[in-house]
Amino acid sequence: MEKLSQEQIDKALKILKMPADSKLVTHLNACVHCGLCADSCMYYKSMKEDKFIPARKVELVASLYRRYCTLTGKIAPKLVNARDLDEKMAEEMVDILFGACTLCGRCVKHCSIGVDIAYVVRIGRQMLAAMGLVPATLQATVDAALTTGNNMAIPTEEFVDTIKWMEEELIDEMQDENARIPLDEKDKNILYTLNPREPKFFPLSISAMAKVFYAAKESWTLSSTMYDVTNYGLFNCNDEEAGIIARHLHDEVKILNAKMLVLGECGHGSRANRWEGPNYLGMKYDFDMITVAELINDYIRSGRIKLDKTIIKERVTMHDPCHLVRNGGLLNELRFAVKSAVNDFVEMNPHGNDNFCCGGGGGQLAMSEYNDRRIKIGEIKAEQIRKTGATIVVTPCHNCVDQLMQLNHHYKLNVKIKSIGEIIADALVIEK
Amino acid sequence: MAQIEFDGDGFLVNPGIWNVDIAVEIAKEDGIQNLTEQHWSVIHVIRNNYLEKGMAPMIRVICKETNLKLREIYELFPLGPARGACRIAGLPKPDGCV
Amino acid sequence: MNWYHWIALGALAICALVLFAHFIRLIRLGNPTDYSKKSGSVAKGVAYSSTVAMIDHKESAYLHIPTYFAGMVYHVGTFVSLFLFVFFLINIALEFTLPLWLKWILIAGLSISTLCGFVLFVKRLLVKNMRNLSNLDDYLSNLIVTFFQGMTIGYLLCPCVEAYYYIFVSILLLYMTLGKLKHVVYFFAARYHLGFFYGWRNTWPPKKVK
Repeated sequence: MEKLSQEQIDKALKILKMPADSKLVTHLNACVHCGLCADSCMYYKSMKEDKFIPARKVELVASLYRRYCTLTGKIAPKLVNARDLDEKMAEEMVDILFGACTLCGRCVKHCSIGVDIAYVVRIGRQMLAAMGLVPATLQATVDAALTTGNNMAIPTEEFVDTIKWMEEELIDEMQDENARIPLDEKDKNILYTLNPREPKFFPLSISAMAKVFYAAKESWTLSSTMYDVTNYGLFNCNDEEAGIIARHLHDEVKILNAKMLVLGECGHGSRANRWEGPNYLGMKYDFDMITVAELINDYIRSGRIKLDKTIIKERVTMHDPCHLVRNGGLLNELRFAVKSAVNDFVEMNPHGNDNFCCGGGGGQLAMSEYNDRRIKIGEIKAEQIRKTGATIVVTPCHNCVDQLMQLNHHYKLNVKIKSIGEIIADALVIEK
Repeated sequence: MAQIEFDGDGFLVNPGIWNVDIAVEIAKEDGIQNLTEQHWSVIHVIRNNYLEKGMAPMIRVICKETNLKLREIYELFPLGPARGACRIAGLPKPDGCV
Repeated sequence: MNWYHWIALGALAICALVLFAHFIRLIRLGNPTDYSKKSGSVAKGVAYSSTVAMIDHKESAYLHIPTYFAGMVYHVGTFVSLFLFVFFLINIALEFTLPLWLKWILIAGLSISTLCGFVLFVKRLLVKNMRNLSNLDDYLSNLIVTFFQGMTIGYLLCPCVEAYYYIFVSILLLYMTLGKLKHVVYFFAARYHLGFFYGWRNTWPPKKVK
């Protein structure tokens, strides 16, 4: 790595020196190095290298804090392991904070003190982002969203063609000329959003949701330009860029005058919009944002859609996306949706708030550099799935879906991976 | 394939060096022992789109130009169009959640 | 009062003042501003975080029962010793005699907690992962506090070590302001922030899986 300039160092340290509230100072002062977090981390569990212990990740950032922001660290750096911010340190930070953390937050729940470890890792990533040290592959995904409005740089024309294609398929399947996938229609109840990998490579989940909307007689629309629910700014931790991306959807709701933003099946995207978006923009949103799972809960409870549990005969399990469940509170909303559609449902062990990440979170799927680690830690998830004996794994996150597809292939699980929209569409009873 | 460079994800570092033999080798890694005519039709569509536009084609374009159904493409390439077909066609890894 | 009493009092004042300053800084920095629409309850999240969350299906506890137990006992021993220190100071004026049975209960309990502290120290020293995670402050803090509990036993057994006891406690109190022992303040702040975060998002208190 090249020598860090003073400007880079100043920019990074500003993040530690100018805390907005008491959260940063708290979490950087709280770790007591008990080491009991080790077994909660997939990286440590799979590879048993002590640099992966969550406390070590906190230590990287905390040692800088002590060096530059505490008296003891300034006078006696050796005593408290206060480290200088130099190339060696930055290299270590990139390798560990970007390359060995999915930001799943499982260690946070298990920390004996209560250190928000994932938050500290994100602070470390913020510092690296301020120094321009985000891995190129991850930054490319952010840049694509910044310049084109979606993270796969899909041209609008090609997106529209794909949607029209899916609409034709829907009309065929429903045998109804009025079955629609509306584009850019104003004053609708719902503005629906997608993960760009759906139109690009896996559009069946779009037609599945269109079918659900059709059955529920929903007033909805997609935008032909701003439909991307993802926000990799949550992972490169450049809050300014994250804010620009978050604004895309916020403004699109306003332009199309939709009542509500429905967040497509994407864990981090849901978090980045629902929980972080207003904070990136520093304002409350004057419309509601809900996830697909919550919307489907409403449809089922209010009788707007009818499901037949006997259609799907296979055993089904569910993978809890970290940002929807542990970091998003939707434990039972996801279960209600899936269990309403299938008869033979089995939980993984552990599951819910305690679930293991798929291994592809935190931007790992985008960062080719760390591919081997990603597949390795995924073995934990693969074995969890295998033990359930299920043949279908449902997960409401296309990022998880992609990782699970790879794990399925690599660890020979022989399962099908489906989104919630797809499993609901499969069980849907269409009343004419 | 000792001299051919791949990124951490197994995508070609230099897509320019791609040839039929490399495609066959990558396919074997993915468990596809024989590339059929259908496989090749998909690979060529992807390859040509990349050379023309600098990116992987939409799945719609692949379906349209090969006359294959979506599900058939997923069956041909178990790792999907991105990590499966695009990798065999020698493209760099697409951005995003793939 | 002897000179060492005054030193201990001074150290106590400095320690309390510094820790209080840390606390005040946290209060002044304040809560995070969250513009997102709250889904759960911060109050309930914080209440859960500060109580049940400490044992509720927590791997750091149930996968490491001996260590967790030793840590708990060690901390109880520390707080009992601190409490006794304040009592001893006040007792200079009160001149109250501890009943013998209580003295022996305290000695027995503190012996166990001192042993726990020592075992934790040895673990930190011998286990490679722990060694790689630790800095000088970790070892020193552990040793000083363990020794502090030992000194408390000594003083309970024999008033003759009084001067050494007070000098040592003074060192501990001053050292507390420098390193990780400050977690006596930050532990509670961390529990609060965690409860705030998970409470806001309706993850805590956890719901039963339906």
